Order: sequence, then structure tokens, then C-alpha cells
Amino acid sequence: MDPNLSNVDFRDFWHLAPAIVLSVWGLVVLLADLALAGRMSAPARRRAIGWLTLAGVALALLAAAGLMQVQQLAQAETQGTPGWLSPSLAEYFSRPGGSIFLGTLSADLQTGVLNVLFILMLGLVVWLSMAWSFTEDWGEYFALVTWATVGMMLLAASEELVTLFLTLETMTICLYLTTAFEKTRRRSAEGGLKYFVYGSVSSALFLFGLSLLYGLTGTTQFEAIRTALASTGGAGTGLSGNVAGATALLLMLVGFGFKIAAVPFHQWAPDAYEGAPAPVTALIATGSKLASFVALMKVFLHALQPWSHPSNELLGPGWLGVIAIVSAVTMTYGNFAALAQRNFKRMLAYSSIANAGYMLVGVAAASVSTRGAEAAGSVLFYLVVYAFANIGAFAVAAWLVRDKKTDDIDDLNGLGMQSPLLAVCILVLMLSLIGIPPFAGFFGKLYMFMEALNQQRAETRLTLMGLVALGLMNSVVSAFYYVRVLKAMFFREPGGSRRLGLAGRSIEIPIAIGALVAIFFGIFPGPLISVMQAAAVPMLTTSSGGFAATVSAPSGTGYAPLLPAKTAAPASPKSARPEPEQAKRYEARMKEAQAKASASASASPGAQPKNAPAAQPKNAPAKKAEAQEKDQ
Amino acid sequence: MASDIPLNWFLYFAAASFSIGLVGVLVRRNAIAVLMAIEIMLNAANVNLVAFWRYYGNPPPGAGPLPGVILALFVITVAAAEVAVGIGMILLCYRRWHAADVDRYDSMSG
Repeated sequence: MDPNLSNVDFRDFWHLAPAIVLSVWGLVVLLADLALAGRMSAPARRRAIGWLTLAGVALALLAAAGLMQVQQLAQAETQGTPGWLSPSLAEYFSRPGGSIFLGTLSADLQTGVLNVLFILMLGLVVWLSMAWSFTEDWGEYFALVTWATVGMMLLAASEELVTLFLTLETMTICLYLTTAFEKTRRRSAEGGLKYFVYGSVSSALFLFGLSLLYGLTGTTQFEAIRTALASTGGAGTGLSGNVAGATALLLMLVGFGFKIAAVPFHQWAPDAYEGAPAPVTALIATGSKLASFVALMKVFLHALQPWSHPSNELLGPGWLGVIAIVSAVTMTYGNFAALAQRNFKRMLAYSSIANAGYMLVGVAAASVSTRGAEAAGSVLFYLVVYAFANIGAFAVAAWLVRDKKTDDIDDLNGLGMQSPLLAVCILVLMLSLIGIPPFAGFFGKLYMFMEALNQQRAETRLTLMGLVALGLMNSVVSAFYYVRVLKAMFFREPGGSRRLGLAGRSIEIPIAIGALVAIFFGIFPGPLISVMQAAAVPMLTTSSGGFAATVSAPSGTGYAPLLPAKTAAPASPKSARPEPEQAKRYEARMKEAQAKASASASASPGAQPKNAPAAQPKNAPAKKAEAQEKDQ
Repeated sequence: MASDIPLNWFLYFAAASFSIGLVGVLVRRNAIAVLMAIEIMLNAANVNLVAFWRYYGNPPPGAGPLPGVILALFVITVAAAEVAVGIGMILLCYRRWHAADVDRYDSMSG
């Protein structure tokens, strides 16, 4: 056995339980559709397979919640283990969270919480899909939507560039396909193709940036990249004069910017959102955005953190300036373009673009704040609140398409008189999206902008204050187009040739749940914000502690940035396997580098929080050292 | 061996090929030509990955001996899947517009 490689711990598969359940269930759904295809009509099959998919979603939810519960039980037991867990499993689960599968995926509070969220969103989208027949291929549709969610769950858990790319592509390709699923409308195919072309180009750009980052640091693991960039010499020279590094960073920003629909990478969003069937748009706007933001925060706030703002200038060499500019332009463009929209889904697309701008303010704040994890947690809170409100909004769009065949804002005329209860729920959703108290959207914006103002580096204060001011002004502008929806509902007479029928359970439930979430987390934002802030800590600081035995770290000489006169160090890959003694020296050097990196990181203000949850990552290197002693 | 062709040459080639692909995506009107240009871009990134793996010194312990190559293999697989999906979408659009010209796909506005 190669002494260089550690063994995979097969108990790590337990942490993948929800993803495995959903993947297998996608196949079950496909087979069920195949079996039922001859015997049932399409609408009946839609209901049957929809309920089958919901059964799978319930199983996956059980698995995710059960996993969190087992972890909590095993870690809370100070003596003795729960009787029904085998001893090795009990020992396995009692380790604190960390990375699994040799450091490629993380398994901690953050992944547990996000798994539950993604499965809930999938359930709502599947329920919404059962509202009307926009396609005949129900097995394929539900399977693709399920597998897209698997991609999202693993994307939010990835700790490494390879896994990031693979899961990003999994999620995105499934979403390309489902966008084009409505075969009776031309706009669906067009939206799908535009999404596909833009998406593939940005994936290629992202991959090129990824390859440059791999070349600069010699490793693909986020923690190791961070160590390499924070060290002195070689890759650790910061971004000044580092053309390759700046290129890598900008290209990766392009890739992520496409996924979150930031300007100027937003061109696909209006067409894809308008063309796709409403439940698919709901999944793109909520699940895909949430997963992409988590991945963006992991890469930029964890792996590329040393490059965020190393200098004292206002927009110095570092990605903070770029993100600030992108955020400002995105907010402004999204809000002003939404003012001109008459199509409901298109308006929601531009609102989605604008919300990405607000969230980037939170990301910028998290990079320089001394309370980095709290700021990242506030972004997560905002994402969750925004996601549930959006699912409700797209349920309204689904209702419009189902009954009236078009989804213009004018089609909502007179809804207030027709279904007053649902109209009030929609009112709540719109007010939450604007950010009016006491609904949850207000608290999302409050927390995020508070964190942006609550940091202590004087040179970035101006940038962040400007961003917050711009965000507040843009929120005022956004009120105009959301209120247009309310005006149509409550102050206009119903018109047009077709009337809106009864909503039916599949549409009422998502709208009602969205409104309930907006009200509940508006009155009690505390629990959710603390959960999100606790979840953000492992997201930003996951080291290899806990499950994996080693994390790969770059060797002593990092690769120098591209300079024309230099050639690379002569490579001898055949001698690339260090002997055990050399391996010990490697690990000693790596431990030293990590200790130095964490010491220097905690000395500088723009670093991780120093409060109690941060004690866990500090214990992790100690536990890892112990594991290494045991291995040797 | 490794010191024959300087690493920079591989990187310049990859960058040039990537730019050619990017220009192709922006300029070409036929949807399938756009797909080919996307493939060129993905393969340029692959060249980059393998070149960095080949010329980089010692891979870190615990990473295995072939990180760049394995990543390139995964990328090839993903690119193949993407092309399959893309061809399907282009077929869908062709059936509706009777043209594979991306400039004609403009039914949505605003």
C-alpha cells in the first residue's frame, strides 16, 4: 500500500446518507415512471410520481435530521454511549465535526443544517410541480430535480476544488435540463439554451481560474490553499504584482458571479427564469443560489482569505474592492431594471439579481470584519428567509400560468377580492422581500448591514459604509416594483378573458409556508440567526480535524508566479513519494506552518472570531497531531 | 524530460487556446459552433492542469501522486456530459425555430 495515501474511513458514508437516499430515490422515481407509463394518463402519473418523490424527500429529511440527532447524542454523552449504536460508530460520531473522505467534504453543523434546508426546498418545489401538467416526462423531471438537490447538498459540503467543480456541474446540468422541460412553449427551450450557453462558458472560465489556483498553490484543498497563500514567499506574496493570482481570482469570481446572477454575469437570469416552468425557477432562484453562495463564501472567505485585503489602501490589491464594485453595480442594476418589468417572473428574476447584490455586501463585510463568522451567518440567514419568500412568489407565478397561460403582473388584478387569505399571504411575502418590519426580510437586511458597519479596520470603513448606504437606497427603490404587485391585487378589478381558478393545495401550501416563515422569523429571528452564525464558524474554518487523518498541504517551495525569465523548478515526479522519515518532516513542517498561519491570522484584525466556537478549530490541529502519532 | 519544454510554453498555449475558444463563443452564430468553442475552453483548462501537475515539485503527502491528472480526467467527463446536454437543447431549439442560429432565439425581451 502506498505509504503516501491514507485509507478512506468507510464510516464516512453515514454522513452522506441524505444524498445517497435522494440519489437512489431518483432512480426509483425513474423506474416507477417507466412502470406506470402505459397504464396511467399523464396527469394521474404526475400525481402518483409526485407523491412518490415526496415520500423520498420525507425519507431524506428523516435521514438528515436523524444524522444530526445521532451526532448530537454521541457528542453529548460524557460517559457511555447510546445503547443502540455500535461502539465504533459511537466513537466515530463523537468526534467533533471536520472533513470526511480525506478532506474533500465537510461534515459538521453547517452541512447538517443546510442539508435539511435543501431537502425542505426540494419538498416544496416537488409539491408545487404537482399543480399542473407542464410536461409529460414526469419521471425524468422529478429525478432531475432530486439529483440537482443532491448536487446542492454536496456543493455546500465541499472542502476542495475538485469536489466543488463536480458538484457545481451536477447541480447546474440538472437545472439546465429541467429549465427546458416545458415542451409546449418556445420560451422554455430558449431559456434553457441561454442558461446552458452562459453556464458552460462561465464553468469553463471558472475551471481555468481553478487550474491557475492549483498551479499557484499546488493543492486543491481549501485549508491548504489558505495556508499556502498566507505563508511568506512563493505563493504567499499576496496579490500585488501577482498577475497569475489576480487572473485566477477574477476568473473564479466570474464563475461564481454567473451562479449567483451578479452583474455583469446576469444576462441569463431573466430569460432562464421567465422561460423555465415556475417550480424549476423556484429551485434555481432559491436552492441553486443558496448552494452557490455557500460555495462562494467557502472559497473566498476561507481559501482565498489571505488575498482579501492585505494592504492599507482603499481598494488595494485584494478581492474586497472587486466584490464591492460588483455588489454595488448588481444592486443598482437589478433594482432599476426590475422597475420596468411587466412579466411577473422576469420581475422576480431582476429582484433576485438585486438580492444577490445585497448578499455580496454581507460577503464583503465578512472578509474584513473581526466578527467574520457572524457576518457570514447573517448572509445565511438572509438567504434562508429570501429562499422561502421566493418559493411562495414563484408559487403565485405557477398559479397564474396554470389558469391564465401568461404570467404578467396585470394577471394578478383583483386577487384580493377573489382569494383574500392567499392575497394577504402574498402581501406578507412582498413586504418581507422589500424588507419592512416586522417580517423576516427586514431582520435579514438588518443583520447583514449591521455586520457590515460593525467592523474595525478604518481603511475599509468607507467602502462598507458606502455599500450599506447604497443597499438601503436600493431597498427603497425595490419597494416600488413589489408594491406594484400589491396594487394589482388589491386595487384593480379582475380583467382578461380567463379567471384565476381555485388555487388548490399544491399552490396554497408553498405560499402559506413562505408567509409563515416570513412572519415567524420576523417575530423570533433570534434562534435562526444564532443557528446560522454557529453554522458559519465551521464553514469558514474547517480544518482537517475530526475525521480525516491528514490534509494535504503544499511542500516547502510554493510555485512562483509567472515571470518570463524563470523556468519552473525541475520536476521529478518519480521521486515524489517521500519516505516515512521525510513524511514525518513534512508533517512537522506543515504543523508549524499551520500554527504560524493561525497565529498570524489571529493577530491581524481581519481574521476569524476569537470567541468560544473558535476554540474548536484550535483543538482540531491538536487532535490531528494525536491521530498522526497513532498512525505512525 | 521535464526540462525540455519550459512550463511557460504550455501555459501560453493554454491561454491562447482559451482565448480562441472565448472569442468563438462570442462571435459564432451557429449553436453547435458555440458548443465546440466551449469544448476548446474546457480543454485549455485541462492542459493547464496537467502542465502544472507535471512541472510541480513534490505533491503534498496524503494527496496521492496524480492530483492534476485526476482532476483533468474528471473535467473531461463533465465536458462530455455537458456536450450531451447541449446537443439535446440545441435540437429542442432547432425544432421550434427551424434554425440553429443563436441570433434567432429572441422570443423573450426586456
